[in-house]
Amino acid sequence: MTVEPGTGVPPFVVESVPVEERKTVAALLHDPNPIHFDLSAVQALGMGDRQVNQGPTNMAYVVNALTAWTGDPASVRRLQVRFLGNVFAGDRVSAGGVVTGIREEDGQRLADLDVWLERSPDDRVLAGTATVALA
Amino acid sequence: MPVALQELEALVGKPFPGGSYTIEPYRHWLFSDASGAAPTDEGVAHTMEVYYGALAGMGLSVDELFALVGASADDGPMFGEATMEVERPLEVGATYAVTGGIVGVTRKEGRKAGVFDIVTFRLELAEADGAVAAVSTNSFIFPRRDA
Repeated sequence: MTVEPGTGVPPFVVESVPVEERKTVAALLHDPNPIHFDLSAVQALGMGDRQVNQGPTNMAYVVNALTAWTGDPASVRRLQVRFLGNVFAGDRVSAGGVVTGIREEDGQRLADLDVWLERSPDDRVLAGTATVALA
Repeated sequence: MPVALQELEALVGKPFPGGSYTIEPYRHWLFSDASGAAPTDEGVAHTMEVYYGALAGMGLSVDELFALVGASADDGPMFGEATMEVERPLEVGATYAVTGGIVGVTRKEGRKAGVFDIVTFRLELAEADGAVAAVSTNSFIFPRRDA
């Protein structure tokens, strides 16, 4: 695989963020925030009429894009993200990235990237940077 | 009135109780499945386990963390930023010691958002030999609607 600045990460697409998994993740995380599972709470806060995806799950989509690209689940060395907006149950989202630099550290070839999660190119809900180990 | 800024700043540097986190195979399977990754119950763990482990092993529940900074889930706290750094990939089935605490507090006021606090906490996951395997640093945003 040729990797150089400008190389794109194939998108990891979630066609429709599922509702039931929001409940699973809330239980696993012991996260009591009702915006993830209780529609009445979402509505009471004026946040619409669909459950809000957990921020860590949005991050996980980016990890999935990176590890699918490298082919190595152990390749992510660093991931830093800013949460720019909410993802709601039913949304179609796409995680992706682009290589910004290649370097070597302790004999390991590393790629630095800009990464994101978006509903569309002009509607990014997460943005950040990542470093992954290359084979 | 919201919790005084000085009270929040006094939390900086005080460690959380801490604890440990074991990447239980069935939980790893469920977490992976819920994020659309191929679910597995062995081998190298999904990178998000750095975050899951940090939160689960910090010795406070999320509710207790909110209460510590004078907030509750009903206030609508939001995730601001998150960083995961991996020195050694985590393994499904392994146990990690979790230590850390609040490293920063900032109070801001936005025209639309009103007063809100950004609380940053940093947690290390260490292997049995004490070597730090990964670090999770997170910033939560707490709206202070009663300010």
